Amino acid sequence: MIAVVFLLGLLGVVLFAAATGAAALPIAEILMLIGVFVLFFGSGVYIAAVLGVLAFLTGFLFSDRPWWNFAGQTLWGPSSNFVLVAVPLFLLMGEILLRAGLSDKLYRALNVWLNRLPGGLLHTNIVSCAVFSAISGSSVATAATMGSVALPYFKGTPYSQRWVLGSLAGGGALGNLIPPGITFIIYGLITETSVGALYIAALLPSALVVGLFTLLILAHGLRHPLPKPPPLPLRVKLAALKDLLPTMTLIGLVLGSIYGGFATPTEAAALGVVGAIGFAALEGRLNFRMLNASAEATARNTALLGLIIFGAYLLNYILGTIGVPQALASLIADLPLPPWAIMACIVALYFALGTFMEGFSMIITTVPVIFPVVVALGYDPIWFGVVVTMLVEIAQISPPDGTVMYVLQGMRPKPGGPITDVFVGVMPFLLAYLAAVVLLMVFPEIALWLPRIMQ
Amino acid sequence: MRLLRAAARLRAAVAWVASVMAHLAGWNYLACALFITFDIVARNFFGFSSRATVEITGYMLACGIAWGLAHALAARSHIRVDVLVNRFSVGVRAPLHLFALLLLGGFALFVAWAAYSLYQESALFDAHDTSALRIPMVIPQGIWLAGIGAFVVMVAVLLLESLCALLAGEPGRLDTLLGSRGADEEAAEAVQAARS
Repeated sequence: MIAVVFLLGLLGVVLFAAATGAAALPIAEILMLIGVFVLFFGSGVYIAAVLGVLAFLTGFLFSDRPWWNFAGQTLWGPSSNFVLVAVPLFLLMGEILLRAGLSDKLYRALNVWLNRLPGGLLHTNIVSCAVFSAISGSSVATAATMGSVALPYFKGTPYSQRWVLGSLAGGGALGNLIPPGITFIIYGLITETSVGALYIAALLPSALVVGLFTLLILAHGLRHPLPKPPPLPLRVKLAALKDLLPTMTLIGLVLGSIYGGFATPTEAAALGVVGAIGFAALEGRLNFRMLNASAEATARNTALLGLIIFGAYLLNYILGTIGVPQALASLIADLPLPPWAIMACIVALYFALGTFMEGFSMIITTVPVIFPVVVALGYDPIWFGVVVTMLVEIAQISPPDGTVMYVLQGMRPKPGGPITDVFVGVMPFLLAYLAAVVLLMVFPEIALWLPRIMQ
Repeated sequence: MRLLRAAARLRAAVAWVASVMAHLAGWNYLACALFITFDIVARNFFGFSSRATVEITGYMLACGIAWGLAHALAARSHIRVDVLVNRFSVGVRAPLHLFALLLLGGFALFVAWAAYSLYQESALFDAHDTSALRIPMVIPQGIWLAGIGAFVVMVAVLLLESLCALLAGEPGRLDTLLGSRGADEEAAEAVQAARS
């Protein structure tokens, strides 16, 4: 476990800094928190309960205020927040689209245009995942949907299994980065950053990652040439565009209304739900059973996010009252290290956590503590939001515990071969994704330029 | 044994109620989307607005979350970090499942208590929101509280059945009741939805 080693190392650094820096630091608190964290996570406790129990312990041990009197308001506030309404709406839109039969047509239409490039169908994997990401806010849903459509196309072809799975996992990991993603909504809610600005900032980094993936596949395609399918007449190609129309309209409706400044992300999500229902009706897939199933899945997924939000807000409230984030921020700002080195540590921390934690829980448990540090170091909150989201996505495709990879492994036609095929296949894409994060650290303008000129 | 069967029947009954509540919560989100869309259209084309959309949809979200909690638990959707726990044998794993559920129950009780005191406070001060409709806060907060209450009941009946199963020497049963959904299950569900 890389992650455990890393966490222990980090602990050592903190202890060393405290011993030499002689700052008045609540070392005991921090040690206890880390200890309880590790113990509970090891025994498989519910994340929300871990956060809640931590809040309890911290509150009773270190706070002399009657913090429990504010617990009701602390729980009610975020869960009735209009910004957060966007989360179930985007989830609902994704659930409806999943059942509306758009993904199959999307894949076929894109394939007509892309299959003669070196790398062929692999490009279709990436581009269709990227397009689907623009209407869905979830990586697992993107990988599952596009994987179920794409994998049958590769049956009996000479394509390398590893590259097929790797490209689908890599493409799936675009789900939350390409707007509208729910990670940005949660990040915006915790840090009081504009979700619209985050969506704008994510555009160029998304394009960068897609570009790197495409280059990767081009290089692979040139080194391992495959016979090209016969060219299709332009008339057929243009006719295929018709199948892209519903998806493109929906993207235009949702993202256009946000970028055009007509609607807040929550309003855009509501329009998206209505649009998705409209297209499902056009496809003849709209019925009570389908809507009911979408409603149930949305309620379940929103509830699981909501419970974690309960725990996290309680803990954040108590940590805030005893000043842990501020203490940590000043401690780290006093370290004799340049800001970029600390940022590199933070990036490494997320990467390590991501190997065993699910992305959303990772953001909600760490960002409240890490964010003040980042701001104290002089980094831009919007830039950090994009970087964190990219790291969460990378976590989902980093072996051995990435959700997206297990989803793909579960969908391979039986007998599927070992999971190591997916691990090896995803590696080039993982490295490309990491390269994009490094580029973003060296050139923060990739994320910050668009929001600035659009203001 | 008879106790275990009774506990299982009780759990199934509560889970059925929870599932109905979650479906209502889901349809409530659909209503939310229609309501917001209606408001956008009305504002831009007919020049009026409910002037309470932000508040009402916020309440709908809070109640939707609360009413979905119990069903999410019954459907084993709440997230656990189970990298380690799944590597143990079932004899070790089963008590850990119970421990996890016990902690969740404690947390659920606290949340319910906090929600109840908030509700009491709103009732005491006759609190209204600042929207055009001046909605009394006890209405949304009461519905919210009911959902959290159902969650506590769900935890309690699951605890009862798990305890009985453990005492009756059926630790495997705790896996099916409480173990996290694997990635296989998630994938199968997404694929099935896409092909339905």
